[in-house]
Amino acid sequence: MATVAQAPFPLTFGTYTDALKLVGQAGAKTVAEFSVTWEAIKVYCALVEDANPSYWDENYARRQWGGIVAPPGLLLSWCMALEWHPTKERKHYIMALRVPLPGDTLINVATSTEFDRHLYLGDRVSVQDRLVQISEEKDTRLGIGHFLTTEAEFLDQDGARVAVQTNQLFRYRTHEA
Amino acid sequence: MAELKQNQKYWGDVSEGEVLPRVTMHVPFAKVILNAAATNDYFPGHHDPEYARAQGQRNIYLNTMAIEGFIDRVATDWAGPGTFIRKRQMQMRASIYAGDTMYGEGVVTKRYQDAAGRNLVDITISIATDEGPRVPAALTLELPRH
Repeated sequence: MATVAQAPFPLTFGTYTDALKLVGQAGAKTVAEFSVTWEAIKVYCALVEDANPSYWDENYARRQWGGIVAPPGLLLSWCMALEWHPTKERKHYIMALRVPLPGDTLINVATSTEFDRHLYLGDRVSVQDRLVQISEEKDTRLGIGHFLTTEAEFLDQDGARVAVQTNQLFRYRTHEA
Repeated sequence: MAELKQNQKYWGDVSEGEVLPRVTMHVPFAKVILNAAATNDYFPGHHDPEYARAQGQRNIYLNTMAIEGFIDRVATDWAGPGTFIRKRQMQMRASIYAGDTMYGEGVVTKRYQDAAGRNLVDITISIATDEGPRVPAALTLELPRH
């Protein structure tokens, strides 16, 4: 299972007791590296094969929304860390990745997102999340670990709220590990 | 560009119990790689089969954002492009792997106005593969009114 332990995602290791001390803490506010672009929207729509003219047809989108809008499912992607940066350390805003726990891998389990407004071309998102809950140790089909619940708030460049999201992921070790 | 469909459902035309048309999408290996690139998500379970297997998965699998996008598409293919997705909840009970075909089905559960006077429709959507249900979802859509 060496490949899991060598996960390129920067996880923090520790005990459940260490982790519980972080409940209620907020992560750093992160301004997205990626601004909203039509190119990124098209690539994502090609992924999910979405022909919605709000994303493809400038005339329709202008009439309906005032311009091309971003698919809501792209919300998280704007804030993802670059694989390399000349001056910044590679760091994910996602608080749950920095919680000290024994698990050497993770999988996302559930999301709940409420949207206030669309994102438009050129918009720049910022995000801050907060650790809300860590479950006791659970034994699941995938392995043994803890469920981490976080709440994130996404703002646009003017400070207007775009969305709030509650996310749950499972940080675990496989049964074989 | 050929004209894209702009058929719009209006709030008054929707009835509770209405069934959404099924949406099908094949997920070849390349699509899972496209998923990583399209969402800036290089978590290795989404592009490295060896890592995915060490995690207890059968193969590389779609990420949250790809499944969210497919769920939203099931909703707006039916409701129309002038629909605003107010809320989306989803639970990934099992993964969708490279090589799978995914299906999205839905039904209208509620039609109502909220305190702000918005014209809303709640729907449930189920994402499945040939192995069975994978991701249940619940959405609140805001629709235009005649």
